[in-house]
Amino acid sequence: MAVSPLVSHSPSAASSSPAKLRAANVRSSATKPENASSHQPSQNTDRELTEQLNDEVRQKYVKDKRLGEGTYAVVFLGRLRTDPSSFVAIKKIKVNAEYKDGLSMDAIREVKYLQELSHPNIIALHDVFSSKDQNLNLVLEYLPLGDLEMLIKDGNVHYGAADVKAWMGMLARGVWFCHENFILHRDIKPNNLLIASDGEVKLADFGLARSFADPYLNMTHQVITRWYRPPELLYGARQYSGVVDVWSMGMVFAELLLRVPFVAGNTDLDQISKICEAFGTPTEENWPGVSKLPNYIAPDRNHLVPTQGRDFFLRQFPNAGPVGADLLMSMCTLDPRKRKTACEVLQHIWWTSEPRPTDKHDLPRKSGGTRKMGDDLTRRGGEIDENAFKNAARKLDFSAM
Amino acid sequence: MAANYWASTQRRHWLFTREKLAEVRDKQREKDMVAHTQFPLPDQRMLNIYFSQQLTKLGKKTSTRQQALATAQIYIKRYYTKNEIRHTNPYLVLATAFYLACKMEECPQHIRLVVGEARSLWPDFIAPDVSKVGECEFSLISEMSSQMIVHHPYRTLTELQRELALTSDEVALAWSVINDHYLTDLPLLHAPHVIAVMAIIVAVVFKPSQAGFHGSAAPALAGAMREGGMNMLTALGDKSGSGPPPRIQKLIGWLAESEVDIRAVVECTQELVSLYEVWEQYSEKNCKELLARMVKTQHLDK
Repeated sequence: MAVSPLVSHSPSAASSSPAKLRAANVRSSATKPENASSHQPSQNTDRELTEQLNDEVRQKYVKDKRLGEGTYAVVFLGRLRTDPSSFVAIKKIKVNAEYKDGLSMDAIREVKYLQELSHPNIIALHDVFSSKDQNLNLVLEYLPLGDLEMLIKDGNVHYGAADVKAWMGMLARGVWFCHENFILHRDIKPNNLLIASDGEVKLADFGLARSFADPYLNMTHQVITRWYRPPELLYGARQYSGVVDVWSMGMVFAELLLRVPFVAGNTDLDQISKICEAFGTPTEENWPGVSKLPNYIAPDRNHLVPTQGRDFFLRQFPNAGPVGADLLMSMCTLDPRKRKTACEVLQHIWWTSEPRPTDKHDLPRKSGGTRKMGDDLTRRGGEIDENAFKNAARKLDFSAM
Repeated sequence: MAANYWASTQRRHWLFTREKLAEVRDKQREKDMVAHTQFPLPDQRMLNIYFSQQLTKLGKKTSTRQQALATAQIYIKRYYTKNEIRHTNPYLVLATAFYLACKMEECPQHIRLVVGEARSLWPDFIAPDVSKVGECEFSLISEMSSQMIVHHPYRTLTELQRELALTSDEVALAWSVINDHYLTDLPLLHAPHVIAVMAIIVAVVFKPSQAGFHGSAAPALAGAMREGGMNMLTALGDKSGSGPPPRIQKLIGWLAESEVDIRAVVECTQELVSLYEVWEQYSEKNCKELLARMVKTQHLDK
């Protein structure tokens, strides 16, 4: 586990106890009929031992009501048996549905990375166990205050620049930590940013995450939910870096300020044209090499949108202030080589300039988050909820600025 | 590669001392003495050679990266620290470790393809039903406590290549030495960077006599190491006579300034030497027959 210098936050002391699942499967499917073996008894004790360990983990938690159900997982509210006041979320991955095809990459990725990462801004995986019906259960940190999307969309929730700075700070630290550990998240968006009871923002859903590829090895460009997908992926780049996540962070930043998604294309092509309109047309001049990308579309020479400068961002996002607009601009730079890295984002002067970020305990909040957590944790990576912003109101409260 | 090795589950949960590993295996033996007497198996390293060769065949058919094969070999090792091999169908474990490792190393293969290829290689041991591999995958993950990220020495080798100005022949030989270390218990005993340094020393000290090593370094190294291998490092430190050639001196200088555990590096070298010795008695036929008898007599393939 990559331990962050900050706190570890397990509800139980023995959070890393081995998650023993149904170990006997290979053997149960591979052993001969019960009575035919001279050494069967010892085999049974062996099997019981592994099951016992799994049971121990399972017994640590009591499953409560169902919070949400998606195509590949069901999420339950759970609590520690020894301390009923400490909650967890139990994400049960539907193995049986896809049993024939083995465990899905989403499930594998989620377990793989959350096992290693420990940081205050990344959802914690406390335990893994199997249930009787041979499903994988992930015991996750309980995050009852919903997600950023919920706050952005609710017109009754008023927030200002200091709050945006606090949320963005927590997001940026989580993303930085992933990149520091050579992991790309590849699905950053408001409804994957869940909120803990103390107001801390946690990066969740590692179903699309992967390690940085070795140099010159290709990765898929079919990642990141469209509205948050950077131009290099839309153009089909197969080799990319952590700055794909920085673009998504920029989009979340913009959305927090506007309270609607900033560039919301209906199709991938529409997304490209909306990005061009908003930020400028990518050309060999502002982005050397862009025309070599597989899905690059040569721009219409008569409709070239010049690369937008600081003025545009300031005009478009007045509530960000000049320093905030500068940071946003550096996160939304078309050429990935010129875009800021997560580390550089954290070094920007915006964080230390006025207003100071709101203390996490004082951030605006909203009830009904438990249900939202259930929905968020069961969604498949990369899915867009197209109706999400139909009634979104452009309401911002700048009194706090 | 992902995350930080020093804080990784690999270092915290899957690094054994030699004594601990021996204890784990003794316990397995005590638990089922009958099976151990009834089904004798070759030396662990012989079995590892056999498994590795079988995995390589599977890898060739699916053009899979070496790194996924390495990860699969680690999974097999981890699995058999928790499970008595005599209670399993090793061919099913092999195919499943391969299937899971491919997903883990981001070069996924469809389960049907893996089962199909495995079946064509080991028709007597793999059932056509893909759900067997599905079940076994679940078990494999659980036995590994869902700790699946493996740190390999290859990356360290690539990183040190420039710093130590290694020639491409040296890198190729070191690479093969790393491939070979998966045939021993070393991956469960030492950190990947220690292995990488060991491989580099071996490659630089025993100048590769021929170019192009893919796969094993054994043919090129076995003889050379037997002659002077055991005392190689002591010889390096020997200041008498003209001393080691400058190239080796440079490496020694780098080692001295690094904080790499030299004692561990020496131990790894010795382990490798003894692997190459054991290798000379390796018989594929023998492994195959003993495994077949073990699986068939107990009907573990059903």
